[in-house]
Amino acid sequence: MRKTKYLGILVLAFILVGGIGCATASSDKMSSMKTEMTADDATAAIAAADAARKKAGSVSGEWRDTGKIIGEAEEAAKAGDFAKAVKLANKAKVQGERGYEQMVSQEKLRLPSYFK
Amino acid sequence: MKKIVLMTTALLMVVGFSNAVMASPEEDRQIFLNFYKERFPNVPQDDYINGVYAIDPVGRENWEAIEEFPPYETAIDAGKSMWDTAFANGKTYSDCFPDGPAIMSKYPHWNKEKGSVITLPLALNACREANGEKPLKYNKGAIANIVSYIAYESRDQVTNVVIPKDDPRALEAYEMGKKFYFTKRGQLNFSCANCHLQNVGMVLRTEILGPAVGQTTHWPVYRSKWGEMGTLHRRFKGCNEQVRAKAFKPHGEEYRNLEYFLTYQSNNLPLNGPGARK
Amino acid sequence: MTISKKHLVGTTGLLISVLSIPLLTTSMAFAADAGNAVAEGKDLAFDRKKGNCLSCHMIEDGASPGNIAPPLIAMKARFPDKAKLRAQIWDATAANPDSPMPPFGKHQVISDAELDKIVEYVWTL
Ligand code: HEC
Repeated sequence: MRKTKYLGILVLAFILVGGIGCATASSDKMSSMKTEMTADDATAAIAAADAARKKAGSVSGEWRDTGKIIGEAEEAAKAGDFAKAVKLANKAKVQGERGYEQMVSQEKLRLPSYFK
Repeated sequence: MKKIVLMTTALLMVVGFSNAVMASPEEDRQIFLNFYKERFPNVPQDDYINGVYAIDPVGRENWEAIEEFPPYETAIDAGKSMWDTAFANGKTYSDCFPDGPAIMSKYPHWNKEKGSVITLPLALNACREANGEKPLKYNKGAIANIVSYIAYESRDQVTNVVIPKDDPRALEAYEMGKKFYFTKRGQLNFSCANCHLQNVGMVLRTEILGPAVGQTTHWPVYRSKWGEMGTLHRRFKGCNEQVRAKAFKPHGEEYRNLEYFLTYQSNNLPLNGPGARK
Repeated sequence: MTISKKHLVGTTGLLISVLSIPLLTTSMAFAADAGNAVAEGKDLAFDRKKGNCLSCHMIEDGASPGNIAPPLIAMKARFPDKAKLRAQIWDATAANPDSPMPPFGKHQVISDAELDKIVEYVWTL
């Protein structure tokens, strides 16, 4: 009986610590969990960034530098710096996502209050 | 029968609704004009063809000094010789444009067969291609030369953009240009209207923001910053890129419709191209 | 309840101490960095590729400011709540859709850490 309760606390403690660990990890884009980036990680991150860039472009919402940042990520990957490649690709991916949201949120023309 | 009634009501609702939200192009133009008139009560309407210099007396002095030896003169001359020189097949631009070079006020216009806005550079390249010549690049160089010549020959004309009523797609193209104008773009999230309407006359670092009315009357432009001539769509590109948005293809659908909308706002203003800007 | 209080206290205590180590270290680092943050925030605010605040706002000794937006003065009076000031720089269009101010945080023009420093600086104005 006593054992189960003790186990319960342990489980709770693990959930708590684990949960916090996850939260920090996700806010750092998992970088704190995994320091060694591989070529596959870079390839995947670059592909995801390019997909986000294209999606923004499909609604005329691509930003100026996103393609350039993806190019830099590709170069870093080629040079074997996969951590840098992933970091740059993630940055480009967020740009693509924000650019897409930016356009979708303005899908319907809203004339500003000063235009009257 | 019931179906027809239903459909008609639905249609009426749609029409009624769109009328309620959509101002006509002419109403838009009046809003622009009144907006600027309120901000700059002493600027005569025709002075808007001088762009930002209509509202910037200091910049205007420098500009008037520059205009005494116009930096666009060589472009006009080069454009004239392009106009006069035969293509490889012996034909010339005049075969495509029988009314001669003074045709600026006919552009941009709606083309019903193509279902799109036709700009002058598009028409010039179509002429070249029909005669077996390579199309010109759109932002600068030869295209700016020939358009400079045409603009110069058209100097006594006035802006006259027509939105034909017999093809609803023309108004749609205008509305798309309008939407582009008011859409916030790029990482810095600016619309054209944020700068050229909402904050017109204000200073952005060192540059005074000029009004939209009159922005299309004087192209191509010799810009000191470029150190050469550039076209209207080159300027669109610059204004998109400075807010960190990816620029669109020159004379692609987005910029064509934008030119259609923007040039309409200068209707009745004299054409005074080519121009010079800092 | 058969678990001893001792156990409970022990586990919780352990948990709290484990959790507070990073918290403590960051807050300590923060206190030491407060002065630096203001100075770094100023550099970031003036940097044309970062805050570029001068493009639109007049700020104390900043050269050739724009006048699109109100001068940055009396900021503590205008934003008694620092979080509101941060929110304004993060995304001004949330409060006013017509605002021409770029959403510096939301669009990642500057990083979260940079934004915090700029807030520290602007709040001193
Ligand atoms: C961040 C502010 C900003 C935004 C946004 C902006 N512009 Fe500009 N634009 C300027 C400045 C500054 C100039 C140079 C001063 C002037 O002529 O107004 C300029 C000049 C121009 C000119 C040349 C005016 C002339 O007389 O030769 C045109 C045309 C123009 N902008 C169109 C646009 C269009 C179309 C958009 C939207 C795609 C746009 N601008 C968005 C700041 C902006």
